[in-house]
Amino acid sequence: MSYRVALIGAGTMGGVHAGHWKTMPGAELVAVVDPRTDAAAAHGAPFSDFDTMLAQAKPDIVDVCTPTPFHREYVEKAAAAGKAIFVEKPFARSLSDCDAMLAAVTRAGVPAMSGHVLRYFPEYAGAKRLVDAGAVGTPVAARTARMAGLPDLGGRPNWYADPAQSGGVVLDMILHDFDWLRWTLGEVTRVYGKGLFHLTKHTGVLDYALVTLRFASGAVAHVTGSWAHPGGFRTTLEIAGNAGLIEHDSARTAPLTASLRTKGGGGGVAVPESPMAQGQDPYYQEIAAFVHALQAGETPPVTLADARAATRIALAALESIETGKVVTLS
Amino acid sequence: MIKIGILSVAHPHAQSYAQAVVDNPDATFTGIYDADAKRGQETAARFGTEYFASPDDLLAGGLDGVIVASENVHHRRHVEAAAGAGVRAILCEKPLATTVADAQAMINACAAANVRLATAFPCRYSPAFRRLLEQVRGGAIGEVLAIRGTNRGKCPFHWFVDKALSGGGAVIDHAVHVADLNRLLLGREATSVYAEIGSGFHGQEWDDTGFLSINYGDEVFATLDTSWSRPKTYPTWGDVTLQVVGTGGVLDADLFAQNITHYDDAAGTVTNSHWGSGTDAALVADFLRLAGGETAPNIATGEDGLHALAVALAAYHSAKAGQPVAVPMD
Repeated sequence: MSYRVALIGAGTMGGVHAGHWKTMPGAELVAVVDPRTDAAAAHGAPFSDFDTMLAQAKPDIVDVCTPTPFHREYVEKAAAAGKAIFVEKPFARSLSDCDAMLAAVTRAGVPAMSGHVLRYFPEYAGAKRLVDAGAVGTPVAARTARMAGLPDLGGRPNWYADPAQSGGVVLDMILHDFDWLRWTLGEVTRVYGKGLFHLTKHTGVLDYALVTLRFASGAVAHVTGSWAHPGGFRTTLEIAGNAGLIEHDSARTAPLTASLRTKGGGGGVAVPESPMAQGQDPYYQEIAAFVHALQAGETPPVTLADARAATRIALAALESIETGKVVTLS
Repeated sequence: MIKIGILSVAHPHAQSYAQAVVDNPDATFTGIYDADAKRGQETAARFGTEYFASPDDLLAGGLDGVIVASENVHHRRHVEAAAGAGVRAILCEKPLATTVADAQAMINACAAANVRLATAFPCRYSPAFRRLLEQVRGGAIGEVLAIRGTNRGKCPFHWFVDKALSGGGAVIDHAVHVADLNRLLLGREATSVYAEIGSGFHGQEWDDTGFLSINYGDEVFATLDTSWSRPKTYPTWGDVTLQVVGTGGVLDADLFAQNITHYDDAAGTVTNSHWGSGTDAALVADFLRLAGGETAPNIATGEDGLHALAVALAAYHSAKAGQPVAVPMD
């Protein structure tokens, strides 16, 4: 059988997911829900209303790719209708929304997976495998960074620029790092952060956050999140332990860089690319892992409990940024 | 000729300072005192100067300038002795002292004797840092909002890990450098510090991990990694990096990036061979100007050394308190 998939949200991530659903064996994209029906129609059968879609398209899987504050509404409806659920990160803008969704999914007994795609990025998966294999001994000090400009929605109202909706770079972007660090180093006990979005004069313009984490293991980590970098996207990671160090920098590992002469003869911006073989795209892999778990009747590999835990770290960082105090997580 | 003596060569930087004195045509290297006669005699022989078994005997030689490179706790005793001997200027290795009281006493003693006290902050003389400072002061990135710094290294062991002589571990050894650079870049004083400090790399009672958050008022913030986290196989001693974020862009500085990479089959190592401009010689050249009665506007004063020390000491205080603490200055 083939799973019937309804995609909720035809924005940036919705478009990425739509492309992968279309090539996914065992799945069929049957509906795309978005109030902008032209955007939805670009990817599949468009619906402007979730309930109508549910009745007409009869999906098995609901894939929620809306802006963060709308996750709860669709996750609760999908759970109540007994659908399998894939929900993008960040799980929610508040812990109460996380808990409501967890309760709805548990009550309905439906399988659900969270889109912490970094776990499927080969450099992050590989770094975690190395650490697990003892490559650095006992991990002691980790540093990760995720640096870009403020997301550009091409003239549409930019919900990323509104901290009340997106949570800024801390919740929307370095949540990835929090999840990966928790996956690799265990539970976080203490959070201290500084960031720009809470300073009114920078809100919605640029964000830059530096967050320090302490783990139950005793390890410490420092996470950089930037929506203040005008040129390109860059990530770095390193874990230092008592027997070694691993480090990775996306700027040093791109296997292809294009430096194209502009028409006027001047220099253009060098554009690096880091392509993967077909089927090894991280976004494809995470969705494939979800489909595989459904087929096998197994718990999906990234649970909503994981999503809640990562969100909790990000919300703690935001609380620390707002209060200037350390936030302790029990 | 400017007559220079070195009080103790306990700190390895004494070697490059001595070389810079020898190489300077305006200086005469009068001699070296060291509590360890063998070490002192060997160093004196290496630089073609005389060994003195007592500080007073060396200071009796009518010196113009004294370089103090003893273990941190002895800085005060040696600076006060030199000030009492009527030298014109003293260059004291960083950290200036291990307590604010000692640092203040040294500053007072030098002021009372009309002696110019300088703190050895060689990173100020890095051409990459000078260029960074010039760009920041010139407004290249607008208003500076945040600085992410690292000053990591390999564990130096010896007396550096004997708290009775060093006053601490990685934090007191490394925090002062970037704390000083940040002051120059921001033109502001640190107001509070939060720190996660640990000893996970070596499992000893001294700290080898330091993740500091340094706040400069309510709106400007920095973080600083002072850890001795570089493994033995790391291709170089460590790093000093600064990511300076402003309203108009980002400047990334890596002060010791100018290297040739050396893959050595016989030794089984990969090492970096630094070709960038040396900073110690430039520091000593500036110090010789002070000792010769000229001005040296770029050299760090005793007060500069005290401000940087206060950040390091606040970090220890914060780690104990588990909260941000005010920097006890002014």
